[in-house]
Parts: sequence; structure tokens; C-alpha cells
Amino acid sequence: MKERSSSFFRYLAYAMEIILLFVLGSTPHLLPDIFGAKPTLLLCVALTAAIFEREIPAMVIGIVCGVLIDLGYSNSIGLFTIALTVVCFVVGYAANNLVMATFPNFLLYALVSVGGMFMLYFLVRFVWAGVDDYGTYFMNHLLSRMIQTYICSIPIYFLNRFIWHTLGNGE
Amino acid sequence: MKELWESGKIRIFLSVLLVLVMLSIFTRNVENNVISSSVNSLTYGLSKVSAAAKEKTGDGMSYDELKEEYDAVLDANRELRARLVDYYDVKEENARLWKFYELKKEHKDYQLVPATVLRRDSNDEFYSFTIDKGTASDISTGDPVMGENGLIGYISEADANTARVTTVLSPQSGIGAVDKATKDTGIVTGSAKFADRNRTMFAKLKSEHKVKEGDIITTTGISGIYPKNLVVGEVRDIGYDTYDTSYYAVVEPYDDIRRIRDVAVITSFDGQGEILTRTQGDEE
Repeated sequence: MKERSSSFFRYLAYAMEIILLFVLGSTPHLLPDIFGAKPTLLLCVALTAAIFEREIPAMVIGIVCGVLIDLGYSNSIGLFTIALTVVCFVVGYAANNLVMATFPNFLLYALVSVGGMFMLYFLVRFVWAGVDDYGTYFMNHLLSRMIQTYICSIPIYFLNRFIWHTLGNGE
Repeated sequence: MKELWESGKIRIFLSVLLVLVMLSIFTRNVENNVISSSVNSLTYGLSKVSAAAKEKTGDGMSYDELKEEYDAVLDANRELRARLVDYYDVKEENARLWKFYELKKEHKDYQLVPATVLRRDSNDEFYSFTIDKGTASDISTGDPVMGENGLIGYISEADANTARVTTVLSPQSGIGAVDKATKDTGIVTGSAKFADRNRTMFAKLKSEHKVKEGDIITTTGISGIYPKNLVVGEVRDIGYDTYDTSYYAVVEPYDDIRRIRDVAVITSFDGQGEILTRTQGDEE
């Protein structure tokens, strides 16, 4: 019973974190543009929560964050939802069975995930879509966004680790 | 891995993935779909509150910028006080609608719906944004969107309470336009090269064009999608595109699209949907 209760509060904490960062990310002119871009905060939440959770909860968090990222961009579910679903599920499985959920491991995994996700986004949205000057866009926006997202994932990792330690079920 | 398969989690994962792929196809092909409408309705209130709260707390400008703006506001305030009865609540609403009053007066056929920017997504590189009015206010996909001083984009997606505006800074926009001084015609379309500086391109110019810096670019109205003579912006530079071997002009809209907050959507105008003849277009 106690275990169920702590799980409930943990998911509630994740939900509030997602809502707060969604508002922070989508409110006009709230966060300043640094080198023409802002971090994708919901991506950080999904990636950091996944490392502490089991496969299915990690996947659900990935879906929620992915849907909000995609629907913020256009009125359709797309690349981020599907990519985050896969990444979060795989990470949830790996962190529980194959590798330890330690900070150095997280840094490496976040680097690969953030880099991979944005490169995929860049390929789909710009290169394959045939947008002119995609190199300019990559240098002026995407690179900065990738770096900022990666950096932002570090404090969010510690926040989610705190949530896990405080409201985790002791696994 | 065997354990994972036996636990059934992988099957749940694959089923969810399949559903998401199907939803992705569905939401991409069905405009105003129930999923995006539901999520937008859920986040609408939240976005409205946060946007309003941010508007009241300024937008992170430097001290000098704030000082300059403060002085300008003081001047404007003095001027207004001399002419208007000082009803603050009414004045605030008036200030927002006043911007579009002149436009409405000049073009009685325009049906204007004033709206406020509800949110901007950090993923969007061409400064598209979502406004707080949707199909419930007669807004539909393709409607032109005006800033205080000219055309800034069009409605690319709309649901009941919100609508997404794709700006003239985006390569997705393709607006038939004309140089008012030289009558050269071309297409206004965005480019990643210029979007950051709040500039767009007046592309596909003929090799013998006479477009020069300072010329004003307006819509032709030929397609019936945009009313004719809507100001798009002012020419800042001329360039040559080696890729498609044509000249283009760099155009700066009169509104700063990157920071705009109040817009008006033209939901109806005379000639909407009509394809005008080339002769009429030339007369513009």
C-alpha cells in the first residue's frame, strides 16, 4: 500500500514537472534565446525520468513529453513522440538490467540521445524536406539548442534523482 | 532479453508504437483532429494564464531598452491623456484594438478578428506562433494574418480555440507580391538565412528587374488568398541566387515578427477565393 502511495506521488511529481517545464518552454519571451535557440526542456524530463523508471512507466513519460513537444510544434503527433517512446523504453530497460543508472552513464546516454534525436529531427525536417540553407539553420539554431538541452538535462537529472530517492519505492 | 520478451513488455511496447505510428499518420492527414484539439483545449487555459502573466512582467529587455520604451510610453500617454477620457480598463483594450482600426477603416470589406499570441514553441525556427482564437471565431486555414503595420503570415492550422500562424519568415509561405514602385512581381518566401534578422525574401525576380533598396513590397491579390495591396515590408538588399539562377530582394517586414504579440486575422474580404485575371494583376 505504501509502495503504491509513493509511486502515485512520484508520478504526480513528474506530471507537475512536465506541466511546469511545458509552460516555461512555450510562454512567449519568457526564456531568452541564446544563440538563436532555447532548450527543449520536455526532452530533458523524458530522458532523465526514463533512467530511473522501469520500461513501461519510462515509455509513458516519453509519450507524454513527445506529444507535448510535437503538438507545440504542429497539430500532429510525429517524430518526437515516436522517437521518445522508443528511446525511453530502451533506456528504462537498459538502466534496470544492463547498466547502472549512474551520473557518468547518464551523461554519456544523454549525449547520444539528445544528439541523435536532434540530428533525426534535422534530417527529417530540413534535409529530406529540401529546405534551403539547412546548414545555416543547423549552425545558427540547432547546435545551440542541442547544447542547451544537454546542459539543462543535468539539473533535471538531479531533480528526478531527488524525486526517485524521496518518492521511489525502494527498488 | 528473453526475460523481457516473456514478461510481455516488449509486446506492450510494440503495440503502443504501432498505435502511435497510426495516430501520427491520422493527425498528419486530418485537419482539426480530435487528438490535437483535445490537447490544445487542455493546455489552452495554462498557456493563456502564463502568456498573460509574462505580458505583465515585461520581456527581459535591457535597462536602456526599457528606459527608451518607458519614455516613449510616457509621451504617448501624455498625448492620449489630452485627448481621451482616462478610463484605464477601456484604454487597455482600446490600445490593442486601435492598431487594426485604421486597417478596417481603409478596407471596409475586411472582416478582422483581433487575437493575441498564446504561445511560441522553442522548436520553431521561423517564429511561427499560436494565437488565442480559432475556428469558433470564424478563423480558418489560409486566412491572412496582419500585424500592426502589415502582413505577417497566414493561418496554417486551426482548431476550435487556437490557431497556428506560419509567418512570412518561413520557407513554407509563398505569397504573390509586387514592388509598388517598379511593378516587378515575385514571390515572398522565407529563408533560414534571413529569418533570424526578421527578414524574408522577395524571390524569383526577372533578370531585368528594377527593384531597389527602400521599395515597398505589397501583395498582388492575384490568387485570391490574400487581399491585394497588403504591405509585406521594405526592400533592404538585393541578391542573386546561384542555386535557381534568379535575383531576389531581402525584405524587412515593418513589424518585428519575432516579438509580435497582437495580431488580426482577416477572415473575409472582397475577392477572397477568386482567381483574378493576369490583366487585373498587372493593373495593380
